[in-house]
Amino acid sequence: MERQIISKKKQVFSVEPTKLSPSEVFTRKYTSHLVPALKKLNMDKNSSQINQVTVKHEVDMALALSAQEFAWGRFLLQKLSSADSKSSSSNQTQILERSNDEDGEIEEKMKELQELLPGGKEMNVEEMLSEIGNYIKYLELQTSALKTIVQDTT
Amino acid sequence: MLESLVSLESMSLSFMDVSVLERLKWLQQQQYQQVQSSTNASSELLQFQGTNNDELLQSNFSHFQMLGSGFAQNYGMGFGSSHDTMDGCISRTSSCQMDPADTIGVILKNSEENIAISLKNKRKSEIKTREEEKTEKKIKVEAETESNMKGKSNVSNTESSSDTSKQTSKGASEIQKLDYIHVRARRGQATDRHSLAERARREKISKKMKYLQDLVPGCNKVTGRAGMLDEIINYVQCLQRQVEVSNETMIISPLTKFRSLNRDNLLQFLSMKLAVLNPELELALEDLSVKQAYFTNLHVVVASKPSTLVDAPLFPLDQQGSLDLSVINPNQTTSIEAPSPSWETQSKSLYNSSSLGYQY
Repeated sequence: MERQIISKKKQVFSVEPTKLSPSEVFTRKYTSHLVPALKKLNMDKNSSQINQVTVKHEVDMALALSAQEFAWGRFLLQKLSSADSKSSSSNQTQILERSNDEDGEIEEKMKELQELLPGGKEMNVEEMLSEIGNYIKYLELQTSALKTIVQDTT
Repeated sequence: MLESLVSLESMSLSFMDVSVLERLKWLQQQQYQQVQSSTNASSELLQFQGTNNDELLQSNFSHFQMLGSGFAQNYGMGFGSSHDTMDGCISRTSSCQMDPADTIGVILKNSEENIAISLKNKRKSEIKTREEEKTEKKIKVEAETESNMKGKSNVSNTESSSDTSKQTSKGASEIQKLDYIHVRARRGQATDRHSLAERARREKISKKMKYLQDLVPGCNKVTGRAGMLDEIINYVQCLQRQVEVSNETMIISPLTKFRSLNRDNLLQFLSMKLAVLNPELELALEDLSVKQAYFTNLHVVVASKPSTLVDAPLFPLDQQGSLDLSVINPNQTTSIEAPSPSWETQSKSLYNSSSLGYQY
């Protein structure tokens, strides 16, 4: 019966598939980084020292490690590994409406986008736009992976 | 294209301000050069213009006659003298030598009507010359302008003939650059290096904006760069907030369950989910309700399985039957608990919908 089942279903997923889409690659990497880190966090520090900063640190670290091919990933990793204590990742920027000129507005918005993207301040406009596209896609993947994890544990 | 037409009209108006004499001189000189370069057409042109001039002169002559008759005898002398000059003009033109100064002088003596006639005649000849240019040189830029001009009225055509010469020089410089950057220079736009690079840069940016428009949901309705950028900013902030929320829930919820969190099961589930939902994932954010359905089904499975179970092969279920545990891979060392009925039904629905098989 086993053979029948296998022969019937042509789709076979091996453990290490050769051709993976980038989203799959990312998700695998991400979960393989994050889950052990969370487990370790949970086991080592029993609920006393676990706060949002450390969790966020782990989450961001997992993202950065899984997205090394992008500039923002590398920048994020750099930032995380160098300055651990600083949790200055609050991304609420005030929109300064100085000029009602259309070009001025667009400039302001570009600057805001730059601040949202990790490492965006050092990029020029073109580069930033393409990096933002990647960043959005990988944020979506990260969100779905995190939701899975959260669903599993609650 | 419309903009170029409009600009041409305005240019033509400004050209009208320039003295007629200078323009006609220049045009005549152009024609003269053209005529000299091409042999076959030259004779035709000369004939054409010769007839033109004859007609003009005759009309002028008749006009002058009328004037002369209308006025008093005082003008007889002037008439006579002008007659002499006109004779001279006629003689010169009849010998088929183009003397621009004289012809222009004759034209200037006319009334506006005759000037209009002369201009029209010149235009006809110019159209011929321009067509020759087109066939001879065959520069892309000029071809574009030619096709534009054919749809327009005659008035603008004369003005544009002066521009075509400028365009030819531009076209030459552009051909050199065409190998490197394929940016088409439109009429009235500068073609120096800086503005070309600027234009290429702007096109790249607009391409990227279009890509972002596809990526961010809801961007299609908004038009304009500012609105789109707003949407993108909102979307990125929203995603980041979602991450923060899930961070918080991970902290708030009892973290003891993290111990049971099985990496491989999670990976399995996620890769399965991705395989099913991959096309949607690539394009946009997947429907959260769909995900919820999958998650709620499977989280029972994961919670009920013991943590020692590492490489559990998950075979697809039949439509009716339950999971046959005896079928499990003999390589499996640990034993599997009997599944709870709730697991059976839920996983059955899950597998029926996805119909995937795993093999290790």
